[in-house]
Amino acid sequence: MKPKTDFGAIDHILASDDELIPSSGFLSAVMDRVYQEAAAPPPIPFPWKLALPGFVLLAAVAGWGVYEAVRFLWLEPQGFALSQLKVPAAVFHDLQQAGWVVAALLVAAVSWMFPRRMVRGAGLL
Amino acid sequence: MEDEADVDRVLAGDVAAFEKIVRRWQGPLVNMAWRYCRDRGRAEEMAQDALIRAWRALASWRRESSFSTWLFALAANVFRSELKRVPATNLPLEEIAEPAGPAPQQDALEERQRYEVVRRAVLALPLRYREPVILFYFHEMDVGQAARTLGMPEGTMKARLARARDLLRARFPHLQEELAAARF
Repeated sequence: MKPKTDFGAIDHILASDDELIPSSGFLSAVMDRVYQEAAAPPPIPFPWKLALPGFVLLAAVAGWGVYEAVRFLWLEPQGFALSQLKVPAAVFHDLQQAGWVVAALLVAAVSWMFPRRMVRGAGLL
Repeated sequence: MEDEADVDRVLAGDVAAFEKIVRRWQGPLVNMAWRYCRDRGRAEEMAQDALIRAWRALASWRRESSFSTWLFALAANVFRSELKRVPATNLPLEEIAEPAGPAPQQDALEERQRYEVVRRAVLALPLRYREPVILFYFHEMDVGQAARTLGMPEGTMKARLARARDLLRARFPHLQEELAAARF
């Protein structure tokens, strides 16, 4: 409800502001943008389900990192060493080489399969 | 009712129905934006952005409030963000000189210029007072509607308006007398 009283000069001036009429091209400019947006394909949603294993792996690695950092800083400040497997020295070298080969194959497989899976999940393949 | 029917049509896939909404609200939105920046070109750009944002967010109108309340609240958010990015004025309130000259001798043009100085001074108010002032006068001094647009209680709105008036009166101490003299 509008007040009947005049609060003063400030109200008088601010209430009597000019009325603008939108320019003639305003409506068409807005509608052009609207039609443009309506014609554009919807944005590709992020494939949360497909990316979930990756996030779980990242969380696990981060958790392990935090655990080791805590162990290093607070629990074993002097004699800290990363846990090592007890393997006979004769086979250790061969196992290490084989491990690197398996790791490289795994990385190559993941870098080939993961993007394909993401793209297929988004319906682009 | 018209708005609701048009929104339903747009949501059902009739893009052209949005034109009626734009036609109905372009004037109020351009005028609202004008009060935020006092620059005609920029006001039209800001109003256009607000309408595009409204187009994208039409489905989020819950219909608990009127369409106009929803639209003005959305527009206020758009204008606020835009003016945070590029402020409308860099002149602090203390540096805005009170327009001088005895009122009775003024011609219409001079009076308009003097009034414009006061209106621009609103843009130099701190944001918490500036928006209540802008929306109170935009809504033709309807405290309730202005408060709903900003999503704040009416009491807070009244308190901020009072403080804003005090700041403006302190900046323009002779305005009241001059205006009174001009009327009699």
